Amino acid sequence: MALPDVAPQSMAGFDLESILTLRPGRITELDGAVGSGLTRLGLRFLAGPSTRSEVVAVDVKGWLSPMAAWEVGVEPGRLVVVRCPDPGMWTQVAGVLVEGVRALYAEVPAGVKEHDLRRLTALARARRAGVVLRPLGPELPAGIAHLRLRVVEVRWEGSERGHGRLTRRHLVMEATGKAVAGMRRRIEVVDDGSNVVRVVSRVGAGERGRAAG
Amino acid sequence: MWFPEWALEREVAPPGEPVVVIEGNPARVVAGSASILARGVEIGMLRRQAEALAPSVTVVERDRGEEARRFEQVVTALEKVVARVEASEPGLAFVPVEGALRYYGGEEPLVERVAEILPPGARLGVADGPWAARQAAGRAQEGRPFLVEDTPAFLADLEVSVLGPEELVETFRWLGVSTLGALAALPRSALASRFGAAGLDAHRLAAGEDRPVRPRVMGVEAAVESSHGGEPLVMADQVAFVARGLAARMLAALREQATAPYRVLVEVEAGDGTIRRRVWRSIDPFTEQTLTERVWWQMKAWMGTPGGVPGGVVRLRLDPSDLSGEGRQLPLLEQVGSTWQEVDEGRHDTDRALSRAQVLVGPDAVLRSVPQGGRMPHERVRWLPWGEAPPTSERSEPAPWPGQTPSPTPALVSSRPPLVEVEWDDGMPVRIRLGTRWEPVLTWSGPWRLVGRWWRGERVADRYQIVTSAGAVLCVVVEGRSYLAGVYD
Repeated sequence: MALPDVAPQSMAGFDLESILTLRPGRITELDGAVGSGLTRLGLRFLAGPSTRSEVVAVDVKGWLSPMAAWEVGVEPGRLVVVRCPDPGMWTQVAGVLVEGVRALYAEVPAGVKEHDLRRLTALARARRAGVVLRPLGPELPAGIAHLRLRVVEVRWEGSERGHGRLTRRHLVMEATGKAVAGMRRRIEVVDDGSNVVRVVSRVGAGERGRAAG
Repeated sequence: MWFPEWALEREVAPPGEPVVVIEGNPARVVAGSASILARGVEIGMLRRQAEALAPSVTVVERDRGEEARRFEQVVTALEKVVARVEASEPGLAFVPVEGALRYYGGEEPLVERVAEILPPGARLGVADGPWAARQAAGRAQEGRPFLVEDTPAFLADLEVSVLGPEELVETFRWLGVSTLGALAALPRSALASRFGAAGLDAHRLAAGEDRPVRPRVMGVEAAVESSHGGEPLVMADQVAFVARGLAARMLAALREQATAPYRVLVEVEAGDGTIRRRVWRSIDPFTEQTLTERVWWQMKAWMGTPGGVPGGVVRLRLDPSDLSGEGRQLPLLEQVGSTWQEVDEGRHDTDRALSRAQVLVGPDAVLRSVPQGGRMPHERVRWLPWGEAPPTSERSEPAPWPGQTPSPTPALVSSRPPLVEVEWDDGMPVRIRLGTRWEPVLTWSGPWRLVGRWWRGERVADRYQIVTSAGAVLCVVVEGRSYLAGVYD
């Protein structure tokens, strides 16, 4: 499968690694269907903070595997998974956690009210908590996320009609928001199952776009 | 009533010699004699650092059971003077004194009477509410109780550092707010919007109001008890084991009312009919673990004293009170100005957040995980409730585990995989139904056969990695039926 038709150019002025680093007081939104690789990417945001303090993942569906977190570098002893299958309880749980936790990855069930998400954003800013939100329903309203990463394409390597095994995933995403100065950028992340998710800088496009936050 | 050096007064420690008490793994200093602290040893310091600074010091490990046993004698003596004593932890107790003040004719006669029966080392503080009283006790001297007549005025002069969380305090200082009086003068709504519940709590305490107690009309009978008439419990560990079950039941019932207790009455009936009671208060809402710990301390104390619980425990009852659905109390126990706060900076906030999450979703939904050996992804994780020590794993992780599903691991895994519809053509997957959509299979790997322990009923399973345009999944086929074991999300 070919890469999308994007002119290969560097993202001058942007450190791709720093885009994928959790920022205190900021919300990062991961937007894409289940299966596109965003859980692993979201957990990867917790790897850095987990060297200093406990990090928390809010699991709505009850399927989240800490093994994926360990593989991307989260300290095993520092990850706490909070299961919250009840959408009615999600806002309260997320609020309580944002108040005391430095780094949080949270699946967002469908039906969470916009004003609750805005209050959560304000709380994260006040408490300087780094938060990654993964909406399982529609994307988050505008103005919430400092950085929005939307999946454009997923490709797998290693598997061939019964032979081999999955070895490497290429995830092409579109980055928007204040974190990329309101521009619309494309980045490619390569995940080979080790504790390093390599960020490929050769893909980039300098289209102008709407700021997400 | 606070004994700052309670942990130091150990029977095993040589009298008159400097001592440090350590706890935890790695071992850290939790208490030390004044002469040792003067030599640079600090609370929270690692044991080896402390020993480097004071090589001749006697190091003893903390024994909370022994501390509780000694403290029980103090509380029992205190109960002869005033009723309703609430233990918070060995060395710290609170007493609501309204009734006793009328009986003894004022604060001074009451405090004099209390001081007479207490062992050396006690600091007594009297103020409105437990938090202010704890601050007062921190400023008392031995033999010189600290009586606060005007609690808001007393609190107004205190440094904001007494509020605890270093980050919050730093922000207050940066804003030019250095005393509780200055903090109390700010509009509460402004603090609430800027700092959330932590700001609200800080303002409430600065204004001399403790966390509001909300007696609620409970829709359930909150007290729980268990009877053991046939086989009395004779060991503290046995009682703690039973207490854990009772605590889980009680907290689950309270959780349905969206509330949690800050105070619990522990009541036991001995084989000879003696009934013993003790009220325990906690800084944060009690959890299964913290409540069990208190019961264990208490049983150690009662069973370790002569005539404690004759004939063993035939009935155990836990009765919660001081219920609250919100708000947290800033630390009652923290040593003001110690480096402990710096060592654990941020940890209190995280622990409180997770405790409160446990109240909301239940202890079994706030989980830690430890790696263990296994072939399927879900087998390689051992879950345990947050706050519990990890047990020794039965499955050795470094063992080879031939046939293990290779990495990368699916990020979404089910321990009870649901059925999934897969269309096959001559043994090759063609389409898979994910949600409501049929997705054509782009490529796949496998099958990798997993032969389990057939003598234990484990069936042969074939594993496939299936790639579709919607992503990749791990599929397990057992006896012709396909199951979705994981999603490479």
